[in-house]
Amino acid sequence: MGETNHKYAIDQPSIVAVTDEKGIITYVNDHFCEISKYTAEELIGQDHRILNSGYHSKELFAELWATINNGSAWKGELRNKAKDGTLYWADTTIVPFLNKDQKPYQFATIQTVISGRKKGQVAHKETFEELSHYKYALDQSAIVAITNKSGIITYVNEKFCTTSKYSSEELIGQDHRIINSGYYSKVFFKKLWSTILSGNVWKGELRNKAKDGSLYWVDTTIIPFLDKKNQPYQFVAIRFDITKRKKVEAQIKLSNKKAIQYTQVLESKNAQLVDFCSIISHNLRAPLTSILMLVDYLEQTKNKSERNEVLVKIKPVVNHLLDVFNDLVEAIQIQYDTNLVLEKIDLNDCLKKVLVGFDTQIQDCRADVQIDFTQAPVITSHQKYIHSIFTNLISNTLKYKSPNRKLIIIIRSFLKGKNKVVLSVSDNGLGIDLVLHKEQIFKIRKTFHKHPEAKGLGLFMTKTQVDALGGKIWAESQPNKGSIFFIELKHINT
Amino acid sequence: MNSYKKLTLVDDDEIFVFLTKKMIEQVKVIHLLNVFGNGLDALNFLRDKKNDADLLPEIILLDLSMPVLNGWQFLEEYTKLYPIFGKKIIVYVCSSSISSTDINRAKSINEVSDYVIKPITIDKLRELVKF
Repeated sequence: MGETNHKYAIDQPSIVAVTDEKGIITYVNDHFCEISKYTAEELIGQDHRILNSGYHSKELFAELWATINNGSAWKGELRNKAKDGTLYWADTTIVPFLNKDQKPYQFATIQTVISGRKKGQVAHKETFEELSHYKYALDQSAIVAITNKSGIITYVNEKFCTTSKYSSEELIGQDHRIINSGYYSKVFFKKLWSTILSGNVWKGELRNKAKDGSLYWVDTTIIPFLDKKNQPYQFVAIRFDITKRKKVEAQIKLSNKKAIQYTQVLESKNAQLVDFCSIISHNLRAPLTSILMLVDYLEQTKNKSERNEVLVKIKPVVNHLLDVFNDLVEAIQIQYDTNLVLEKIDLNDCLKKVLVGFDTQIQDCRADVQIDFTQAPVITSHQKYIHSIFTNLISNTLKYKSPNRKLIIIIRSFLKGKNKVVLSVSDNGLGIDLVLHKEQIFKIRKTFHKHPEAKGLGLFMTKTQVDALGGKIWAESQPNKGSIFFIELKHINT
Repeated sequence: MNSYKKLTLVDDDEIFVFLTKKMIEQVKVIHLLNVFGNGLDALNFLRDKKNDADLLPEIILLDLSMPVLNGWQFLEEYTKLYPIFGKKIIVYVCSSSISSTDINRAKSINEVSDYVIKPITIDKLRELVKF
């Protein structure tokens, strides 16, 4: 067979080469030169291996030679290397030409370049392998589910099943709501859906419910897969179990809260301690100093009338000291009364008892006492403290009344919200300059008036009692107009 | 100039005022100018006489625990007022408090010359007016 026959047999632009029985090239067509970038002169006389890219195994070539030496055609895909080092894949057919003894005396190699396709296939295979590695890794660590665009589960991995305790059969075809723990509002899920439906990734922490009712926390990422129109056609949800972390977080939160509470208690105890230090230093030491100075004076004075003058001054100081002392003991007692007995208190009854004690004073100054407990006639609280709070506040209104006008005292109770009750005691007396005394009004030994009976313990005591009841106390006042004190307490509906 | 020193007593403790008066009578070099039962009355007096050096005291004995304006509140206003006075005034904080918080606080104020713990004796009073 001659050259013309080969050329005739094949369609352009095939790469055609003819070798002798040993593989030495005897003919190449133009296309061969074009693809291999060798000239015909460079190729002819060379072994076909000149094009070997070293990619294929020895076994492949052994099989190739065995086939063609046996008189059969060989078909396959080979990767060749051009002169400049570029690689190209070629769909290859090698046909042996046999002599009379049925032995091949030459071979025709017909190739079609498939580089592009082959490359794509290899890349595809590699990508596929990589992807399955990723999938494996993901399945090992994450809870994975795929849903269609209406939220119906179409795929779950094994971890999803072990965590949710449902089988994949139970899950597939179901809505994701099967694991909803009811922890979040409708609005929350609406937001989630609007995020992913608009093509955005949603990230967040969710609390889910397993088949057995147990709850688990998952750090969740939902990725929408978009079609050509940018519409999501499915969602992939990747979740990580963070139940343990959540538990630890909750514990930390709780201990933080406790720590803050303890700190607040400590701070208030510390403030009280400073107050007590101050009481001992001023309120207790001052009358003792007076007694000491009086006694000193007595010792040095011989004059009888002077001695008598001093002698009568001692007893009131001792009495005052006793009063301060008693108040102090009571104040300390309040701090230690932790289990207060709460009972229903009829405010009218309670106030009546308090007012009995001020009967003479009220009559003397013809004070007008107005009472309005209609909004909250009964409260649940500690009888002794409420009695004492009223006593202190009413005593103040009488002590600090204005000399220029008739005293009007208004005592009220009213509801604040659903579970608060406020008691108020107001007067039209001297008032307190709150700009000057705001910080100190409820502190110990603070007196705001030049009154001989002002010991400065009354409001401190009242505040201590209100604190012990878990309430709040505050005041509004204007100098020479009057004051109003408010006490807010928990209201237990009966 | 007067030969004796004028003293203003700012204290609400009647016993202390009574006995201090008695002691001042015995210490010949002092004249008790006036007594105020709280910081505000004392401050009003000083404000009133700020341009009249002869009518201002040379010594102020100041209590801390007082109604209306206490000793600290008095000092806050007093330090603002002091540069206007045309004379030197010595302020002694005189309190029954032995708390170091009070003592250190008083001593940190420039206008306070010393902190005197009650009770005070006649000897202590003599010492205080020797300057």
